[in-house]
Amino acid sequence: MWASLQSALQPAPTAAALVRNLILSVAGSVLLLAVLHRFLGPRGRRWLIAFVTFIGGLYLGLEYFLPVRKQILWPTGIPNPNPERAANLLTPGIEPVGIMLSVIGAFTVGLGVYSLCQVHGRNVAQRRAGWHNSLAFFLAMLAMLIFGLWAHYLPKLDTPSETKPWAESVYELLFNGLFMPLQAATFSLLAFYIASAAYRAFRIRTAEAALMMAAAFIVMIGQVPIGAWLTSALPTTGTVAFFRLEALGEWVMSWLNTPAQRGIVFGIAIGALAMSLRIWLSLERGTFFSEQG
Amino acid sequence: MTERATGFWERFQQIPRYYIYLLLAAVVIWQILFPMPLPIAPSRATQGVYDAIAAVPDDKLILISTDWDASTQAETGPQTEALIHACLQNHKRFAIMNLQPPMGVKLANDIAERVAAEYGAEYGVDWCNWGYKYGFDNVLIAMAKNIPKTIGDDFYGDPVTDLPMMKGVQDISSIGLVIEITGLAAITEYWIGLIQGVYGTPFASAYTAVMAPGYYPFLDSDQMKGMLVGAKGAAEMEVLVHRPARATVIMNVQSWAHVLIIVLIIVGNLGYLFARTRGRQRA
Repeated sequence: MWASLQSALQPAPTAAALVRNLILSVAGSVLLLAVLHRFLGPRGRRWLIAFVTFIGGLYLGLEYFLPVRKQILWPTGIPNPNPERAANLLTPGIEPVGIMLSVIGAFTVGLGVYSLCQVHGRNVAQRRAGWHNSLAFFLAMLAMLIFGLWAHYLPKLDTPSETKPWAESVYELLFNGLFMPLQAATFSLLAFYIASAAYRAFRIRTAEAALMMAAAFIVMIGQVPIGAWLTSALPTTGTVAFFRLEALGEWVMSWLNTPAQRGIVFGIAIGALAMSLRIWLSLERGTFFSEQG
Repeated sequence: MTERATGFWERFQQIPRYYIYLLLAAVVIWQILFPMPLPIAPSRATQGVYDAIAAVPDDKLILISTDWDASTQAETGPQTEALIHACLQNHKRFAIMNLQPPMGVKLANDIAERVAAEYGAEYGVDWCNWGYKYGFDNVLIAMAKNIPKTIGDDFYGDPVTDLPMMKGVQDISSIGLVIEITGLAAITEYWIGLIQGVYGTPFASAYTAVMAPGYYPFLDSDQMKGMLVGAKGAAEMEVLVHRPARATVIMNVQSWAHVLIIVLIIVGNLGYLFARTRGRQRA
């Protein structure tokens, strides 16, 4: 079964096979969706999704936790096709399932683009407030899409000395000259906000606030070279070396921060486990179609 | 007299934010134009990353997962560059890949191309780029079992099996070290949970300074061989590979920016303290 699934998920060997596979896949998907839409009500859809979710979670969980052997696919006596890697009965399916999940996940990108186009298209069509921002979205997306694909599918240059094709130059300009600086500039504004917020909000009103400020000062100075420079007169070995600012900063991070973070991580892990179980068993309210009753 | 003094201390607490922005910008520009060289000593965490790279057996690859974009490039860019220097100086072959966000793979590729040219390292022989792979945990689970099949094509769209350095690369046992460079939380948990924990593949990381504190427990438990903490980690790695570059400049700027922020906090608190004392005296 896994072998046939694996072969079905292999890249098409020829262009004709690719087109044939594409047509068959689209037609099959449309047919399946039409049948489901015709014969399944909201309740049926919910059950179907809950069932698929349960089977998916069960498969991945069992594959991870079941014992593995090198010679056979445990618990059967079927020989392991790759004896160098220990496996169980479910292991051969991991690759095709992984590829399948990646393909399904990739559809969400298309869904995201469709949703963005729908929202911004409506803004432009109805001339809503800020419609010019929506127009900028379309222009930016189309420019990156056209020049990106154009540059990607251009024949590769044989020698580096050849002049770049203009489509690639435009793409580089859009990516390196516009997109990157815009993103970096947006994030770098945080430095100014943090400086201003620290000055305005960080007040020693309680003993806890004083402790927090002392720790912050030690880490802020200890984590930059000026900390090492300020206490460079202290020896680098022995008891006194502990009072060098970089050593103090390291101590705060390793001895105070680490246990606190570990506690937080344990808490998050337990919460995530509980949430995963609830989603896997479709017990979480609002997981699927809850608004449809 | 008392009224004037109280007003003075209250004003200390209410410096307009535009002055603070200007002060910070002035400090940054001052240190970029006239840097004051400060000592940079590699920390234990950075040394751990370097040692882990040096310890990779020659028949294995180093996998660098470059999960960052332009928003964190000031820290993750120099980290990537310094780590590639460390790989090539130690004659280790490495592969770049990207799980999220997709633009990281091109940014890292540009850096790798530039650094590799310095050492005469050849694409496909000394290094390669596996490109952006969608699917986080699914990619890692499948890759652990079969790398060529999971990766498929490289960054340039060619089959990875055609690359000379990929000959004999089958599964995760062909990887001697995974280095995760990221500004995103939660990706490390995938690597540790699905690769390091299950197969024992050595793991090291490079994070933005703001997210690094959350990962010290993994360093302490030795699940992580080392960690580069923000631009500081990159600057320390630049010291280890004897290539002082952008991160070293950034650390000078950051040093004085931190001093400015501390001074501002002290000024604000002095204003608060004296204004409160005056208020109590008047009451």
